[in-house]
Amino acid sequence: MPEPTSELSSREVEHVARLARLGITPDEVLKYRDQLRNILHHIEALNRADTSKVPATAHPLEERNVMREDRREPCLPADAALRNAPSREDSYFKVKAIQE
Amino acid sequence: MSAIATKYEVVVGLEVHAQVLTQSKMFCGCSTDYLTAPPNANTCPVCLGLPGSLPVINRRAVEATIRTALALNCEIPEFSKFDRKNYFYPDLPKGYQISQYDLPFSRRGHLDFDVRGAPCRCGITRVHLEEDTGKLLHEGAIHEAQSSLVNFNRSGVPLMEIVSEPDLRSADEAREYVMRLRAILQYIGVNNGDMESGQLRCDANVSLRPAGSSELGTKVEVKNMNSFRAIHRAIEYEVVRQTEVLDSGGRLTQETRGWNDARGLTVSQRTKEFAEDYRYFPEPDLPPLDVSRHWVEEIRAGLPELPAARRERFVAAYGLTPYDASLLTSTRPMAEFFEETVRLGGPAKASANWILGDFSRLLNADHKEIQESSIKPTHLQQLLHLVETGGLSGKMAKQTFDAMYHAPDPAPALAEAKGSSQISGDAELAGLVDQVIAENAKSVADFKAGKEQALKFLIGQAMKLSRGRANPQRLDALLREKIV
Amino acid sequence: MKLFHRTIRDLHQMLRDREISSVELTQSVLDQIQAVGDRTKAYLLVTKELALRQAHAADERLRSKRDVRPLTGIPIALKDVLCVKEVASTAGSKILKGFTPPYSATVVERLEAEGAVFLGKTNCDEFAMGSSNENSGYWPVHNPWGLDRVPGGSSGGSAAAVASGEAIAALGSDTGGSIRQPAALTGIVGLKPTYGRVSRYGLIAFASSLDQIGPMTRDVVDSALLLQAIAGHDPRDSTSSPKPVPDYLATLGDGVKGMRLGVPKEYFVAGMEPAVEQSIRDAIRLLEQQGASIEEVSLPHSDVALPAYYIIAPAEASSNLARYDGVRYGYQAEGARNLIEEYMLTRQQGFGAEVKRRIMLGTYALSSGYYDAYYLQAQKVRTLIIDDFKRAFTKVDALLGATSPTVAFPLGAKTQDPVAMYLNDIITIPANLGNVCAISVPCGLADGLPVGLQVIAPGFREDLALRIAFAFEAATEFHKAQSPLMGAAA
Ligand SMILES: [Mg+2]
Ligand SMILES: [Zn+2]
Repeated sequence: MPEPTSELSSREVEHVARLARLGITPDEVLKYRDQLRNILHHIEALNRADTSKVPATAHPLEERNVMREDRREPCLPADAALRNAPSREDSYFKVKAIQE
Repeated sequence: MSAIATKYEVVVGLEVHAQVLTQSKMFCGCSTDYLTAPPNANTCPVCLGLPGSLPVINRRAVEATIRTALALNCEIPEFSKFDRKNYFYPDLPKGYQISQYDLPFSRRGHLDFDVRGAPCRCGITRVHLEEDTGKLLHEGAIHEAQSSLVNFNRSGVPLMEIVSEPDLRSADEAREYVMRLRAILQYIGVNNGDMESGQLRCDANVSLRPAGSSELGTKVEVKNMNSFRAIHRAIEYEVVRQTEVLDSGGRLTQETRGWNDARGLTVSQRTKEFAEDYRYFPEPDLPPLDVSRHWVEEIRAGLPELPAARRERFVAAYGLTPYDASLLTSTRPMAEFFEETVRLGGPAKASANWILGDFSRLLNADHKEIQESSIKPTHLQQLLHLVETGGLSGKMAKQTFDAMYHAPDPAPALAEAKGSSQISGDAELAGLVDQVIAENAKSVADFKAGKEQALKFLIGQAMKLSRGRANPQRLDALLREKIV
Repeated sequence: MKLFHRTIRDLHQMLRDREISSVELTQSVLDQIQAVGDRTKAYLLVTKELALRQAHAADERLRSKRDVRPLTGIPIALKDVLCVKEVASTAGSKILKGFTPPYSATVVERLEAEGAVFLGKTNCDEFAMGSSNENSGYWPVHNPWGLDRVPGGSSGGSAAAVASGEAIAALGSDTGGSIRQPAALTGIVGLKPTYGRVSRYGLIAFASSLDQIGPMTRDVVDSALLLQAIAGHDPRDSTSSPKPVPDYLATLGDGVKGMRLGVPKEYFVAGMEPAVEQSIRDAIRLLEQQGASIEEVSLPHSDVALPAYYIIAPAEASSNLARYDGVRYGYQAEGARNLIEEYMLTRQQGFGAEVKRRIMLGTYALSSGYYDAYYLQAQKVRTLIIDDFKRAFTKVDALLGATSPTVAFPLGAKTQDPVAMYLNDIITIPANLGNVCAISVPCGLADGLPVGLQVIAPGFREDLALRIAFAFEAATEFHKAQSPLMGAAA
């Protein structure tokens, strides 16, 4: 296995985990840092391809202007929206206070 | 304020979010009637962000956005797409908002308006389309709440974001800009203009810079203003607050502040722990859009006359003052009320005065729009006709209008005014009848010879002399009596 | 021969002739699940009552000869990434434990309309992320050909079920090889349709621009039959193609005579097992004997397909999986003091290691400062890969190669090394990025374990891929080889 060259730091791993709202232990930070460095090392092969004159492909299909008419359709039956909710109050979803 | 104005220049840019008037949501068929529906009743797998659900674009919302952009003199690029804006918040069911990032439906436009007669132009950076979030309800104050309740009825309602350039130089200009913008959105039928219920929302970026400088100062984003008055007060407050900070040698922090209307001040909303990083990328679930010129022109052809053009036309066609024309065109229903009154025969100047005067005063007191009143253009026109030809006094007219306004049906009050202004007394009419007989000998002779038609002419002459106030039935009887 | 040994086509004939009932057939498969289910662990949920109810309804339909379709009464397994109304649908993840969607996927509705019978939800790598099924949030799946071996992934449960007689056919999903690779490793036929051919509505998303649902079957005819039932435009999926769906059976038997078939030299990758390579070379020779002309071609950007995939797929996944926050459905962590902490704990505890790894990788690739170097560059590489295929298809009608460079490897062999695991998909990924379709068909055994031949055809030419695969299958007996668990044909 070649040496990881990517400079991904523990701080960056913490930042990314935070952006993704993933709880992570200090041990995991190190574990993921090393694994991600290794993966990124392999991914850097991407830069072998000369893409200076190449457009990006975000959508594989050639279809354009796919739209629907402004028509109402039935919503979910009563309570179906909330049936899977871990916490609810009356017909609302209930969440904890947002602030830390 | 004047001392401040010379020392610092105020720089304001506005971001207006306007809900698009559609039947169904942006990406699903759920009803957009979220205000009256029971909580979470107007939801489906798409707008709840259930696993596996996929969005489909509402054509009407796209067209409304292009319509708005055209009304704001924007460029419409030929290629556009949707992107995902990634962030976590409990009112955002998918963990991303489908919005537009680098290729919005439009950019580079402007809006003209005037502040106390002085013309202003504010640049429009862009108009893009996105989906609205759900709504959070807090038990108690936001910051003390132990929990919140989430209602996704609003989730996925189409929302236009109209971003201005930082071209506004005062709270007055900012308020005027939003008023003008609101009028346009209502004119073209894309938004109902309701700020109180949040269907039209405004955020302001406010900063100060030394007069004469061209660099932008540290900007503060002010949120939570839900009336024109609030926009004006919040910006004025920020200008004073920022001036004080700068004058005392302090530094402003780039932050988001919420306007507290009850206390009349802005409050810093907790500064974020780390910079937001929305990780925009093209929405893979939605193919992009080719906006053909043909499509744009079709949308343009469907645009109604816009307020600015209509204002100019009112001045030119009806001889109104620019000020009156401006007020009359501030909402489409008012402008249309005016034009219909005139079309029915109402004198332009008097019609405008009544609409902008008594009528507006009554409507304002009731927080009503002109189209909600039971008074229609035909009623106003009839009243004006009575004043003009029927000798209805100014005082009487005012009383009549008041009665018309407050009644569910204006017709009886109008009829009463008509009746009360009529001359029915035989003594009063006798003089008229004598005068007509004396001055129209030929017609009198004709009638005597059996021509019924001649009597009609004589009655008309008498009506004319009475300026329409004579009771025609009585005239008929008296003339027959005297001539035979 | 027991009923569960047979193919859709055979069973359809027997059902139509009233030789058997769907209830009998369904019971036969349910009995096999009962007999071997503990060994393969192919299912996360067996919907026995639903299956028998649907079988009864199918029998009614067969009896009245009303609207009898090729799948009427046929027991089919569904990968757990497909939403079935009011049936637990977890995508193999603990974060969706107990989630019962209030709606069904379009493909599920289409199968229901055909009168198919749903056996249950098959195990898979969590959110379809994996190549061995060891990333299931519940338990690993065992390969019916060797219980100490992986069945491949991520549709490993569907593959194992079809290969062990626990289903007549199954649906899988393929984002980077997740239908074809497990099909190859369990000796069945797996087809990845062209992106846009099959509606994704109701497919729990992994990578939205790559995911496709496809059939996993005992032979190529069944693959055509199942694809026929699920393919076609769906107004609920804006990325589903409006192109008409051809009659796949009509051209299936047309053979390969006169066809030009390309062999991309880059597909004989370093690390390919010699026995696998031998099987593939033999298979290519066999097609040549059937009248095809074989030529070597080059897909020069094949080496950057894997890195591009490991940017694009995780980037899209990081966004697609943001909705699992414990608010509206699924797992919610206990003991959090506020909502942000609850998000962090819910996602920490609810997602497995591989999913978290990819979420972090994707988040990183999209984050400010890295977007151009990673995400945008990967999308440009995607264009190069599409162009590679376009160029190749001006010279040849279809491409041939291995599906997997190795046969099924032992459980646990690669779990400590994500990169080694990623390399499994090295020759399946280009088809996902390149906007083409591909099928894996059994082409022999190496050391007693199945090897799959991959046939890649241009976009929306599933008819061609099926026809070539059928020509190969018709000339060989490989697809008749049965796993030890399935038992010898009676
Ligand atoms: Mg916005
Ligand atoms: Zn909806």
